[in-house]
Amino acid sequence: MNFAMQNSSFLSHLRRYLFSFLLIAFITVLFFALRDVLDTTLVALLYLLPLGVITAYWGLGPGITSALITFLTFNYFFIEPYYTFTVHQPIDIVILVVFLIVAVVISQLVGRAQAGLAAATAREREDTQLYKLSTDLTGLHDDHAIAKILAKQVRAVAESEYVELNVAGTQPFAYRLPEIDPPTRPSELIVPIEAARGVLGEIRLWRAAPAISSSEKQLFQTFASQGALALERAWLAQAESRAQVLEESDHLKSAILSSVSHELRTPLSTIKAAASSLRGREVGWDSPARVELIAAIDDEADHLNMLVGNLLDMSRIESGALKPKREWNILPEIVGSVLARMKHLAEEHQIEVDVPENLPLVPADYVQMEQVFTNLVSNSLKYAPARTVIRIRARVEDESIHVEVSNQGPQVPSEHLERIFDKFYRITAAERVTGTGLGLSICKGIIEAHGGRIWAENVHDGLAFNFTLPLTWDGAKPPQLPMDTEAE
Amino acid sequence: MSNAPHILVIDDEPQILRAMRTILTEKQFRVTTASRGEEGLTLAATAEPDLVILDLGLPDMDGVEVCTRLREWTQVPIIVLSVRDTERDKVAALDQGADDYLTKPFGIEELLARVRVALRHSASRKGVQGAQSKVVMAGPITIDLAWHIVKRGDEEVKLTGTEYKLLAYLAANHGRVLTHQSILTNVWGPADADHTEYLRVYMRQLRKKLEADPQRPQYILTEPGIGYRFIADE
Repeated sequence: MNFAMQNSSFLSHLRRYLFSFLLIAFITVLFFALRDVLDTTLVALLYLLPLGVITAYWGLGPGITSALITFLTFNYFFIEPYYTFTVHQPIDIVILVVFLIVAVVISQLVGRAQAGLAAATAREREDTQLYKLSTDLTGLHDDHAIAKILAKQVRAVAESEYVELNVAGTQPFAYRLPEIDPPTRPSELIVPIEAARGVLGEIRLWRAAPAISSSEKQLFQTFASQGALALERAWLAQAESRAQVLEESDHLKSAILSSVSHELRTPLSTIKAAASSLRGREVGWDSPARVELIAAIDDEADHLNMLVGNLLDMSRIESGALKPKREWNILPEIVGSVLARMKHLAEEHQIEVDVPENLPLVPADYVQMEQVFTNLVSNSLKYAPARTVIRIRARVEDESIHVEVSNQGPQVPSEHLERIFDKFYRITAAERVTGTGLGLSICKGIIEAHGGRIWAENVHDGLAFNFTLPLTWDGAKPPQLPMDTEAE
Repeated sequence: MSNAPHILVIDDEPQILRAMRTILTEKQFRVTTASRGEEGLTLAATAEPDLVILDLGLPDMDGVEVCTRLREWTQVPIIVLSVRDTERDKVAALDQGADDYLTKPFGIEELLARVRVALRHSASRKGVQGAQSKVVMAGPITIDLAWHIVKRGDEEVKLTGTEYKLLAYLAANHGRVLTHQSILTNVWGPADADHTEYLRVYMRQLRKKLEADPQRPQYILTEPGIGYRFIADE
C-alpha cells in the first residue's frame, strides 16, 4: 500500500465518524419530537439500535464515541431536569455503562465476523488464483510458455514491481516481467521451484512495500509447486516426443536402407553390365549395341542421381532442414520449365496445361516448386496408361493458389488416399513400378514447408493431386510492379 | 600443343581429377590438377592457367573463399563445381566472381560448352574493345548492341528501355550464367538487388516478345535458384 492509499483510508475513517454523528443527531431529533409520548426507559432502549448499527458498520471507534455522545444527548434531552448534564441517579450511570458495553461487545462480535469473512475471502481469492494458474498451465508443453504464465500470475497477485523467473533444465533461461533489466537492489523474496527431482528454478520477487506477508509467501510457494509440476510435465512430454521422433527416424532409416539396396542396385546393375561389356571384347566397335549400351549408362546414371537426390531431400525434410528460399515467382514459368525438361519422358502421354498467364506472383522456392511439379507429373506418367491425358490446372482461390495435377490412371481406394503421401508407401507391389516411393512425400514436405496443403482425390476418370500455396508472404500480398511508361 | 588452353582443376576427389584429366587432355587442353585449396591457389599463381575449374567442397578451405582470393589478383575465368542443392554456395561463388557453375554429376558436353564460353569471354575481355562482337545472334533473334536494334527475323522488336537494358546485358554475356543479383544490380541498380520479382516479370515480357513458345524458352533460359542464361549462336 502506498501513501495515496493511506490518505484515502484516513478520509474514509473520518467519514465513518461523521456518519455516526449524523445518525445519532437524526435519531435524537426524532426522539426529541416524540419525547412526550415515549417513556425515558424506552428511549434508552431505542438508543441501543443506532448504537448497534454504528458499531456493526463503522467499527469500535465510532461505536464508543457514539455511546458517549448518545449518553450525553440522552442525559441532556431526555432525563429531567432537561437541558443539563447533571447526573442524578445511579441508574443514569448504569445506562452509560450499558451503552458502552453494548458498543464494545457488538464491535467485538462484528470484528470477529469480519475477520473471519476477510480470511474466507482471502482463501477464496487464493483458491481462485491457484485454480486459474493451474488451468492456465494445463496442456502447456513449452517451458517458456509455462514460465511466462507463472511470472504473469505471480506479478499480478503480488502487485509487485518486478518478477524474474529462472528456469534450470537442459536449456536454462530466465523470464522477466516487465521485460527490462531487474532492479539493482536484491529481490525481496526468492521462492524455489521445487519438484521431486530437485530444484527446477526459482521465482524472484521485487516489492518494496508493503512487506510480503507470510501468507503471501505460502501462496507463492504453492504457485511455485504448481509451476514445478507443469515444468516437469512439459519436460517429460518433450522427452517422450524426442524418443518418438528417434524411433520414427529409426524406422525411416531401416526403410531407407532396404529401399536403397533395392532401388539403387537396379541402375547400378545396368551401368555395371554395360560398362563391363564395353570394356571387354563382347561388343564390336561398330556394333549398334555399343551406342545402346552407352545410352543405357548415361540414362541409368541420371536415374541413380535422381534417386540419391530424392533420398537427400527426404532426409532434409525429416530433419526439418528443408527451408524454402521464397521469392515472388511466376507459376506458369515454373510449370513451363518442368515440362520442357520432362519432354522426352512424356512422349507417350498428352499433357494439357491450364495455368493462366495472369496469375499473381507466388511466394515460393523456385527449385522446390519445380520438384513438386516434376514429382507429381512423373507419378502420373508412371501410373497412367500411355496415350492418356495429364492435366495441370491452376486457379486463384481466396488467398491462395490451387493447383491440380490430374491423370487418367487407376483410382486409389479412398482409404489409401491419405497414405499415398507417406514415405515408402505404395499401393502397387514395389517390383512393378520403379522409384523410391518418396516422390509424393517429398511433395508433401515441400508444400507444407510453404504453408500449403496437399491431397489426392479420385476424379471421374482417374486420380487428381491437389495442392494450395498461400499467396501472402509474411502477410504481404503479391507485389505490383513498377512498369515502364515508355511506349511499347 | 603448348599454346593450347591451360586448365587448372581443383577438386579433392581423385576419381573426378582422373576423369577430368583424361577427358580434357583428349580434347587438346593442357591440364594441371590440385586436390586442396591452398595448392590450387599456389598453382593458379605459378602455372598461369587460362581457366580454373573449382570444386566448392574442398577439405582445407571453402571453395567460395578460393574464388574470392583468386579474384583479388586475377580475372582468370572460374567454373565452379558443386553437388545438388547447394544453390546458396553456387550463388555466393558466382557473386564472388566465378564465371559459371556445373552441378555434379554433369555431362561432358555441358562441361565443354561452359569451358568454351568462359574462354571466349575472357579472350574478349583481354582483347581490344572493338574485337567484342557488337551483334549477337540467337536463332531468329538479332541484337545489335551498337545501334540498340533488336530484330526477330526481319521485323524489328519494340522493347521498352528496361527490357532493352536487360536483353543487352544478357546478350553481352551470352552463354554465361548471370545471377539474379548481378542482373538486378546491372540493369536496375544496387538498390533493387533483392527484387527478384522484377526479373521474373520482365523476363516473361522479353520471352513473349522474342521466344516462339514463351512457356518453353529456347534462348532466355532460367537457371533454377541461380539466375538466367542467354543462349546465342556460337
